[in-house]
Amino acid sequence: MAAAVSAASVWRQSLAQAALLLLRRPGVRGLARSGRISFYMTNYGEEGTHVGSAAALDSTDLVFGQYREAGVLMYRDYPLELFMAQCYGNMSDPGKGRQMPVHYGCKERHFVTISSPLATQIPQAVGAAYAAKRANANRIVICYFGEGAASEGDAHAGFNFAATLECPIIFFCRNNGYAISTPTYEQYRGDGIAARGPGYGIMSIRVDGNDVFAVYNATKEARRRAVAENQPFLIEAMTYRIGHHSTSDDSSAYRSVDEVNYWDKQDHPISRLRHYLVSHGWWDEDQEKTWRKQSRKMVMEAFAQAERKLKPNPNLLFSDVYQEMPAQLRKQQESLAQHLQTYGEHYPLDHFDK
Amino acid sequence: MELSSLLTRRRVGMAAAASTAGRLLRLGAVRAEGHCRRLRRAGLERGFLQPTSAGKDAAQKRHVAHFTFQPDRESQEHGQTQKMNLFQAVTSALDNSLAKDPTAVIFGEDVAFGGVFRCTVGLRDKYGKDRVFNTPLCEQGIVGFGIGIAVTGATAIAEIQFADYIFPAFDQIVNEAAKYRYRSGDLFNCGSLTIRSPWGCVGHGGLYHSQCPEAFFAHCPGIKVVIPRSPFQAKGLLLSCIEDKNPCIFFEPKILYRAAVEQVPVEPYTIPLSQAEVIQEGSDITLVAWGTQVHVIREVALMAREKLGVSCEIIDLRTIIPWDVDTVCKSVIKTGRLLISHEAPLTGGFASEISSTVQMLHTRRNPIHFFWEDCYLKLFSHLYHGYG
Repeated sequence: MAAAVSAASVWRQSLAQAALLLLRRPGVRGLARSGRISFYMTNYGEEGTHVGSAAALDSTDLVFGQYREAGVLMYRDYPLELFMAQCYGNMSDPGKGRQMPVHYGCKERHFVTISSPLATQIPQAVGAAYAAKRANANRIVICYFGEGAASEGDAHAGFNFAATLECPIIFFCRNNGYAISTPTYEQYRGDGIAARGPGYGIMSIRVDGNDVFAVYNATKEARRRAVAENQPFLIEAMTYRIGHHSTSDDSSAYRSVDEVNYWDKQDHPISRLRHYLVSHGWWDEDQEKTWRKQSRKMVMEAFAQAERKLKPNPNLLFSDVYQEMPAQLRKQQESLAQHLQTYGEHYPLDHFDK
Repeated sequence: MELSSLLTRRRVGMAAAASTAGRLLRLGAVRAEGHCRRLRRAGLERGFLQPTSAGKDAAQKRHVAHFTFQPDRESQEHGQTQKMNLFQAVTSALDNSLAKDPTAVIFGEDVAFGGVFRCTVGLRDKYGKDRVFNTPLCEQGIVGFGIGIAVTGATAIAEIQFADYIFPAFDQIVNEAAKYRYRSGDLFNCGSLTIRSPWGCVGHGGLYHSQCPEAFFAHCPGIKVVIPRSPFQAKGLLLSCIEDKNPCIFFEPKILYRAAVEQVPVEPYTIPLSQAEVIQEGSDITLVAWGTQVHVIREVALMAREKLGVSCEIIDLRTIIPWDVDTVCKSVIKTGRLLISHEAPLTGGFASEISSTVQMLHTRRNPIHFFWEDCYLKLFSHLYHGYG
């Protein structure tokens, strides 16, 4: 009994650490607002959905995200340095600096690179799940999306294909109340996303997305059954987007400060977990203070490091369009090289890797 | 009458009446200028357009369509061959692929029973229902699903029932498939995806069973677009597309599914992508086409030789993107004239890309004099080595 409790407490502490680490990332938003990175999207208020679901998966389960699932990647120990590298688009970015910030991807951690178009990942995740089924790999695929993206045709396509083709996939909808400025009342008129599942023949559940254990339990059970039965499951996690949509958004234009404060103060997933841990004697104020200080330091160091690095070599504009570089692109690459030879002084070439 | 007029009969469409074609010829004659007037004054009549001889090699003649499929000489290099039409050549390629690659799957609307054009007949029985299967009626789903399979490294062969219906999948193709490798820094890709789709006019297809959308995709770096002219070409090019490590779209000229019959190797073989083929050498003008139109151009070249004493060099482009600029330019440098002909609409059609590239390269090499034919018959550009 004692062993079970201590194992559980270790597990819960690491959950807490992961969650708190996410809380420390407001600094990154500040970077965007101060012009040091171009753009950023926070995850405030949705940490429970990330950590709860990620903890319930196998580390090799393939993840298709939308853009507000950084906590899933963080749970899989993606280093701060690489999060920062992608946001800064520097030469350490495994994505080679090609995309806007928060478009993370990691092959080793089975997290498919994020793309901006919404819901496109949904039918793709279904295809990947079908291939996993054929490979008998005991792997599932999890596909995250918001309640707004669920309005896209690709969502309908994905649900229908998953059901008819019997794919081991978890559809995880983060219903956070808003798609930029559009509240759920203007997004759908039915009973949310979970109610759509049965229409496709998909078993569905709605959970309190701010209860990390509820999210964990639902995802765990969905995973077990998806592997055993080769069928899709739909989890709709009710949560709230405390932050703005992105650094390009000021949500005070369309919602009240009181509304936001309620969720921030009364129903925050990290606060709820902390209260739970404290009440069991597995966490206290001192550990909280120490951990916050430590996290802040880690994050600020990662910022400073990332900022100092050069941007990727301009030649990387042309590679990977195809696996091999076709003649026309090679000509364009040579053309740019010639242009820079003559006019290089007009470009900030010193900021770029040679 | 200019060379372009010879094309209008086919260009106007399968249902064009002879009188319509005649009207076009007269209009064309009125607007011709330059050296073309000499040909007109030769007193060529409307009956000119009837081919004097089909030639000993001409195969099947279709009385509804205005072209004759011309098979190539049988290839000896790939082992035993079998008489196949174009859809059978496709089936053979798919059969070879599924036999060789255990991850390969074929899916789309109605592929399970054999497909509306019979391209997948027998494959589900042979390889199993988990490898050859129907999907719901949803093109964006078909392509998205195919991308997902390919992301895991398995081979995905998706069918879109008609190229006219590929547009719901345009976002998945252009924003996702084409950009998967680039945007991820080569961490992920969907190179093992091939999309096959029936393409081109068939006589009775109307607006929605006849389209040639290659130009929309030509503007999209990251994918390859391939169009065969014959069963032998179809099998080799399709196998290349399936093996290629980039997402490919393979358009199959539907009118050739039954009409084109050739000896095709039974074993797998590949024809390189991004390589145009000079299928007939000539000295006076370069004619470029792809798919069904290659056979129209062949007839045109024959007529031009017989009636006008013009020697045509014919190029089948085969891959639309990335296209073989060198072969086309080399030919135009030799002949000095270029004519491109395609079924797709004129404005923004792929001929624009070819002609502007060729003209740009020529401008750099020599000062040139060029003019556009009148807009109605604007199928091509003349490039004269005027000041050379």
